[in-house]
Amino acid sequence: MKKTITKRLNQSLLAVSITTLLSSGVAMAKSDDMHQLYEDNCSSCHGSDHGGYLAPALNSETLKGRSPTALRTIVMAGSFDTLMPPFYGKLSDDEIRGVIKHLQATPKQPNPAWTLDDMKKSLKVYVKDESTLPDKPTYKIDNIDNLIGVAARGKYGRGEGARAIFINSTTHQKVGEVPTGVAAHIIDFNPANPRWAYVKTDTAEIFKVDLYSMQATRSIKTGYNGPGMGVSRDGKYIMAGSFVPHNAVILDADTLEPLKTFELEGIDPDGKMVSSDSGMIIGTPYADIFAIALENAGQVWVVDYKKDGFPVTKIEKVGRHLHDAFLTHGGKKLMVASYDDSIVAAIDLEKREIIKRLPAGCVPHVGGGSAVVVDGRTLGFGTNFGDCDKMVVSVWDLDKMEVVKQIPVSGGTESPAAHANAPYVAVDIISKDRRARTVQLIDKKTLEVVKTLDVGGHAYFPEYSADGKFLYISAGYNGDEVVVYDSNTLQKVASVPMESPAGIFSRGRVKYMTRGLSPDEMEQSK
Amino acid sequence: MKMRHSVFMLAGLLAAGSSQAASLYVGHAKAAAVCSQCHGIRMPSADAPFPPLGGRDVEYLKTAIKQYRDKTRVSEIMNAIAGSLTDKDINDIAHYYGSVKP
Ligand code: HEC
Ligand code: HEC
Repeated sequence: MKKTITKRLNQSLLAVSITTLLSSGVAMAKSDDMHQLYEDNCSSCHGSDHGGYLAPALNSETLKGRSPTALRTIVMAGSFDTLMPPFYGKLSDDEIRGVIKHLQATPKQPNPAWTLDDMKKSLKVYVKDESTLPDKPTYKIDNIDNLIGVAARGKYGRGEGARAIFINSTTHQKVGEVPTGVAAHIIDFNPANPRWAYVKTDTAEIFKVDLYSMQATRSIKTGYNGPGMGVSRDGKYIMAGSFVPHNAVILDADTLEPLKTFELEGIDPDGKMVSSDSGMIIGTPYADIFAIALENAGQVWVVDYKKDGFPVTKIEKVGRHLHDAFLTHGGKKLMVASYDDSIVAAIDLEKREIIKRLPAGCVPHVGGGSAVVVDGRTLGFGTNFGDCDKMVVSVWDLDKMEVVKQIPVSGGTESPAAHANAPYVAVDIISKDRRARTVQLIDKKTLEVVKTLDVGGHAYFPEYSADGKFLYISAGYNGDEVVVYDSNTLQKVASVPMESPAGIFSRGRVKYMTRGLSPDEMEQSK
Repeated sequence: MKMRHSVFMLAGLLAAGSSQAASLYVGHAKAAAVCSQCHGIRMPSADAPFPPLGGRDVEYLKTAIKQYRDKTRVSEIMNAIAGSLTDKDINDIAHYYGSVKP
């Protein structure tokens, strides 16, 4: 069934391009121009299918009855304290009017195809012979784990400012900047070979980055958008998943060549067959598998990447609208958040079954999650948007799989940071007012909020340095710095300038698997 | 409004914009938040067509903003933005930007 849709779509795309070739009709060209303008300036946030991504859906349905003048103002001036940039001076008045007219007349598009062949054709090689690369870092760093990568978005979500920026977290100096064209979104490190990192952009390109010489050696476009990406424990495979189109792919981590795609569809918890966005993808240190969450289908798939044909085990009815997850117990257990059920489902990756569903506040978004060992108990921390009336961070006992406490915080949260050596779990408050400037700190022992940092900007994505001594926070959106605090005194110690910083990723993550656990623990539980 | 991806999704309790209008520009923080939309705090975006304000002469900034307010300096967008600023707001913002190291 899926096939026919794709085919029909291809045919209609073909039809469109043929008509364009034949007709030099002004009206037609204009709407095509506007389509291109939307693709080039807007789709990375609003979605190639006009169905929304980091930003709301813009189509004839969602913009029905809206005043073109009001919409034009938003496009010209941007929307304060959000990612919506001002296009005044970037686009002409005619272009802004034109794109709004186009949007109000364009329905949400069907899921466009992006096939294995499309991916293959998009592969770019920047460094032909990787053996010519230096064999150690070309900058001063004692331990490569001290690298922190920041996804700098650039004001327009693309352009000059869009870079993956790497910082030595002992000196707080930038040691490398890799331009990505479109906003960098996720940075993953290769657990087996310290020299490689992988950067995924808003438009689903994956860059293979050499951390020794700080440059991209290859890139491939894996879809139109979608954040999912994981690296296998042996460092040989990458799995990436998209929102548009609804598929996932396994790549050779060395060449970035695509090996197999997976159509994401299945029966959702309500018994309906649906095509699905890809949620989180994770490689676990415990086995040669990837786990991928199917957002709309509410399933978690386990893929054996060492077996022929990459077979899939499907775990169904995990929860409604799954999104992100984190690992515990040496990577044998996966905690997956379900937005719509407001639970976190614990999954046993060995038995490939659901262990339990735990209450998780309201619209849980666990970010990369956090787990800490306190007085012999392993506690997991879960943030949530909290856009109903509960503003809590959930704490679970991950051995007993039960709720320990729901800690009241001052707003919705989206990402917890913890470190075995740091006393506090940091959560970013995202509620859209002054609170968005703040990060709250929860004492690991008392499980109470003990301090609120006023970071400025729209503060988000806290991350500890690999040694736990420093807490890095993005002052994002219109802020233009990453702020660094001492983890114990909570004094500000440095500021690293960059354009619209977002996600922060420590290379230390590959050692401790989930932020907050100690590397020893991971070793023991293997 | 629902966004499909959450990393940047804002909580639904959006403060109604209009009720904030009166105090929109009060205080450094808010001033920075509003103006930085285009001008950045230290620097505007490398891709943006907006002049930098960080580290500029305070008196110059005050005069420029007042001219926009009075429409003696014409810019569709700055006239609209400066229109509702009080002398105190202008003073605060100019001092704030003047103190920022670019
Ligand atoms: C970097 C990400 C980003 C880019 C690029 C972007 N937008 Fe937006 N846009 C947003 C966000 C986030 C919002 C939601 C703002 C809010 O909550 O107030 C938004 C809101 C809007 C709205 C208001 C929607 C509504 O329902 O009120 C319109 C219209 C819009 N954008 C048009 C555009 C157009 C046209 C372009 C390209 C020329 C564009 N955007 C590019 C992030 C972006
Ligand atoms: C929507 C984008 C936008 C916003 C928001 C904005 N500005 Fe501007 N600003 C501009 C543009 C465009 C110019 C150039 C106008 C011109 O040609 O005179 C400008 C120019 C200026 C100048 C003149 C600089 C110079 O070198 O002469 C000052 C001062 C200024 N803005 C202050 C502010 C302040 C203060 C705020 C916040 C209250 C603000 N702007 C918010 C777009 C913006």
